[in-house]
Amino acid sequence: MSKTGLVFDIHRGTTHDGPGMRTTIFMKGCPLHCEWCHNPESLSREPETQWISRKCIGCNICVESCVSHALTFDETGATINTTTCEHCRQCVKNCPTGAQTLIGKYWTAEELVKEACKDSLFFGEFEGGVTVSGGEPLLQYEFVHEFLQLLKQKGENTALDTSGFSSPKALEVVYPYVDIFLYDIKFIDRELHQKHTGVDNNQILKNFQWLVQKSKNDTNKRIRIRTPLIPGATAMVENIQQIGEFLRNNLADEIECWELCAFNNVSRDKYARMRLDWLYSSTPLMSEKEIDTLRKTAQIYLPQKVLSTGLSAKF
Amino acid sequence: MKQKVVSDFIATPRIARLWKRSTDLSKGGKRNVLVDNPEFLVYHWSGHSAGFSPATGEMALEDSERINVGDHNCRVDIGTAYPYAKEMPSKVEGFEYSAFNWAKDYAFFLDHSPAEVYPDEIICSEFHWQLDEARKFVYPPEVTDLGFELRQLGAGGTSLAHTCPDLSIGLNKGWTGLLSDVKASLEKWKALGNEERINYLQAQVLVVEAIIRFTRRHADKATELAGKETDQAQKILYQKIAVNMLQLATGKPETFEQAVQFIQLFQVVERINGHGNGYGRLDQLLIDFYRKDIADGTLTKEEARNLLAELYLKYGGNYFSFGGRNEDGSDATNEVSWVGLEAYDMLGGYNHLGVMWHPDMNPAYYTYACDVVTRHGCGVPTLVSYDVMRDSELYSGYRYEDAWNVSYSGCQWYCAVGSEYSDHDLNCLVLITPMLRAIDVAEKESINDFETFWQIYEQEVEKTAAALVHFKNKVYEWQSRVWPEMVTTLCMKDAIEKGLDITAIGGARNAYTSVNVLGVPNVVDSLYAIKRVIFEEKKYTLSNLKKAIANNWEGDEIFRQIMLKQEKFGNDFDGVDAIHIRVADNILKTFATKRNIKGFNFRPSLFQYMGHTYAGPMLGATPDGRLAQEPVAHGCNPMHGRNTEGITATAKSLLKVPFHKYQGGSLQIELQPKFFDGRERKGEFIEKFSKAYMKNGGIQINFNVIDLEKLKQAVEEPENPEYADIVVKVTGYSAHFVVMDKEFQKEFVARVNYEAV
Repeated sequence: MSKTGLVFDIHRGTTHDGPGMRTTIFMKGCPLHCEWCHNPESLSREPETQWISRKCIGCNICVESCVSHALTFDETGATINTTTCEHCRQCVKNCPTGAQTLIGKYWTAEELVKEACKDSLFFGEFEGGVTVSGGEPLLQYEFVHEFLQLLKQKGENTALDTSGFSSPKALEVVYPYVDIFLYDIKFIDRELHQKHTGVDNNQILKNFQWLVQKSKNDTNKRIRIRTPLIPGATAMVENIQQIGEFLRNNLADEIECWELCAFNNVSRDKYARMRLDWLYSSTPLMSEKEIDTLRKTAQIYLPQKVLSTGLSAKF
Repeated sequence: MKQKVVSDFIATPRIARLWKRSTDLSKGGKRNVLVDNPEFLVYHWSGHSAGFSPATGEMALEDSERINVGDHNCRVDIGTAYPYAKEMPSKVEGFEYSAFNWAKDYAFFLDHSPAEVYPDEIICSEFHWQLDEARKFVYPPEVTDLGFELRQLGAGGTSLAHTCPDLSIGLNKGWTGLLSDVKASLEKWKALGNEERINYLQAQVLVVEAIIRFTRRHADKATELAGKETDQAQKILYQKIAVNMLQLATGKPETFEQAVQFIQLFQVVERINGHGNGYGRLDQLLIDFYRKDIADGTLTKEEARNLLAELYLKYGGNYFSFGGRNEDGSDATNEVSWVGLEAYDMLGGYNHLGVMWHPDMNPAYYTYACDVVTRHGCGVPTLVSYDVMRDSELYSGYRYEDAWNVSYSGCQWYCAVGSEYSDHDLNCLVLITPMLRAIDVAEKESINDFETFWQIYEQEVEKTAAALVHFKNKVYEWQSRVWPEMVTTLCMKDAIEKGLDITAIGGARNAYTSVNVLGVPNVVDSLYAIKRVIFEEKKYTLSNLKKAIANNWEGDEIFRQIMLKQEKFGNDFDGVDAIHIRVADNILKTFATKRNIKGFNFRPSLFQYMGHTYAGPMLGATPDGRLAQEPVAHGCNPMHGRNTEGITATAKSLLKVPFHKYQGGSLQIELQPKFFDGRERKGEFIEKFSKAYMKNGGIQINFNVIDLEKLKQAVEEPENPEYADIVVKVTGYSAHFVVMDKEFQKEFVARVNYEAV
């Protein structure tokens, strides 16, 4: 029987998750807890109910339909008592507007392939394909393996956007079916990594070394490094120097490019919706000058391969 | 000239001065196109004048009564009414519904229109009044009475515009050659004693002779100005015009410059009758002149580019196309395709040029076209698929010899050059109206399953379509007597030989009737929601629905939200898109069985150019959860705010209907400038996207790059000079944003932008 995978979002027509125009599948669940996480709804490995205030008309139907009386509604909006909620999803089902919504849907690999390939007529012209992102997709590696395998059978180009935090086996299993690896390297310093992401980077760097070695004899594999530029965390010259040093020492020739993704604050709403505080809620966008300094630093190590993306403040 | 957009082609000081004059006229409200009332936009028939709204004269309405749809008119307003209106032959000698009576008015009107030549010009001629300001353009009561009845059923129509005369006929013969043809045909019909045709051709003699006099008056005017001119450079320009106009008054155009002047003159003397057309494949029309002059050393590429730039500035938005294929199927892109687009690149701003892509097109040319539309961000050129347009003509039954020479002719239209009068542009069926009637009927009959409801819906669509056919056929009985298209007819295949106007029965080779269908996405969303909520889940009844929409959903917000929450068209969702396929197919089949009295069937277009802005309050709330005060969907594009899955999903939904079986339907794409930040080749996105779309059957993309925040500001501060230059592709045409009526501005801003592509 086919396994099912938990997906929290699907974006079509994306041009920022790998080359060309792509459909990106966001797998739910992540072992990392980066302080700046842009997808807080991706963290939990279970489906979860979310209340979206701008869609709510205050009809109270969700409260009335809750079998376990776990829902209350006051001037701050609808609140779910997570200890008494029985996850019956009646609130989601009965909400007339979609304000009560379920984050996370289980898919079979076959169904998901069908959905992911809806834009295949655009993939060819744009030299794009399907990207599996997250969360951390390798957390569901058995499903992802099956999914990618089916995509390759259909001849689609595949990309895997990973933090690299997985068992060696997970990476090994999916490896044959991935054309492009979008590999996150956030810190080289172990302590900093632990501090800001909640996990050690030892396995991430080991997996990376394995990947680069493996792809050395595999000419059609492409590896792109992604480093989020987070003010006060990764966006430090020293950190970029360390990553640069690491990349240069690890078969830099195998790396197609090193993308520096500038911080953005568009996730503020997501945190508010989940009633979570966000360390970065009032952090401004980085200036072009700051980004430029880091880009130039990176270029010392990987000339011609560094590109910077994302928003910057114009001042 | 403010060079806001980076271009490789820099206007000379002379072109820059001409640009300033033309642009100032547009921004100063001197080129506005007016319509009588919102009903005209929705039903394409005002119930007042039979065409657009006459700007002056006895049929003109007050400014507060009429609506400005944008500044894309050829007519240059000078603030006064036509001075000889009372002396028109039809008023002095008596009005008659006949081509001859019309032609006498036309000739008098043209004879009393000034021949003007302005400093800096090489290409001249413009006009300040249209014939419908001086001659009554109304149909007799037996037609208009039907029009009012038809409106109640949700349809209407006006017959004019967007046909493509074949200007190569005129370029090869000149006015004098055309006159000889008219006279030769007249002699033939005299010998045969066919009074109807004799009368028509005698009327044509009046028309062509008036045009020749008008042409010669330009030569005289230029000669007079040259005599007085002290500036040597300007004197030479006047002399050039005198030579060119004299040649055009006595023979056919001999040079590229004269050919361009002929085209401008043709547009003026045709459009002066009250409305305009598409003017065909500019690159094909001019290539022989271009090559000959280049070979002779009498023309440079730069001069050719400047002449075409003048043509664009003079007319104020041209309906020309470039590219496409030759008769043998090979790529028709040539040197003039490039020069023509470069001329636009030099000027920017609004225009209605189209590039007809096909898989064998010179890739560099299409790359350039996509670069131009992205860089200028004004929706120019429109990107269309030549193959789908040609196949659409073939599907309808055109002979290949006519179909291959198809041209994009503005808005969502295309036309087999010189061989088609398909009554494009202004016939409309408002699909929401029969659907609302179906709800009434089904409620009375207590229908409780969707399939029975669907049958009732089909019957109601049929009822409206049949009434539209009846009305149009009544119009066709009168059209060639009420408002013949005599100038257009001169450049239509066979028409002069036959002695028939192209509006007459038997005049044009192909004479289908095009019908815009308004509100398709709202009907699709409504029917799907009705199917799900009322017939399947049975949460509400048809009586509940009837009451709710009658009260504009007041007191029924939960019900409305449930209807809104259902799948919506434009997101590549299978359930609702299946209804789209069914609705579109029903429209196709309904019209395929209808015949006009010319012997051709009706052809639906899935696009209606701007009724959506005003239709809301007229039609009331709809079952899809739309409130009465909201606009309806724009053409076949998803309803505002309902495309949640992005641009590719919208494209996929549209592609589920085979466009070649219809007559047009454009995908609107509005992107924000920030989308292109950091991209090396800005045109790359639309190039790849449009190719993928058109390879899979898409027919047209109207593409805007607009700064939403700036537009919102512009709505609030229309006088702020910072916003004066913003040009948007409103629908099939582009216009200055702040010049448009407020309702259009608001609707435009409300369209969903695919910010997150």
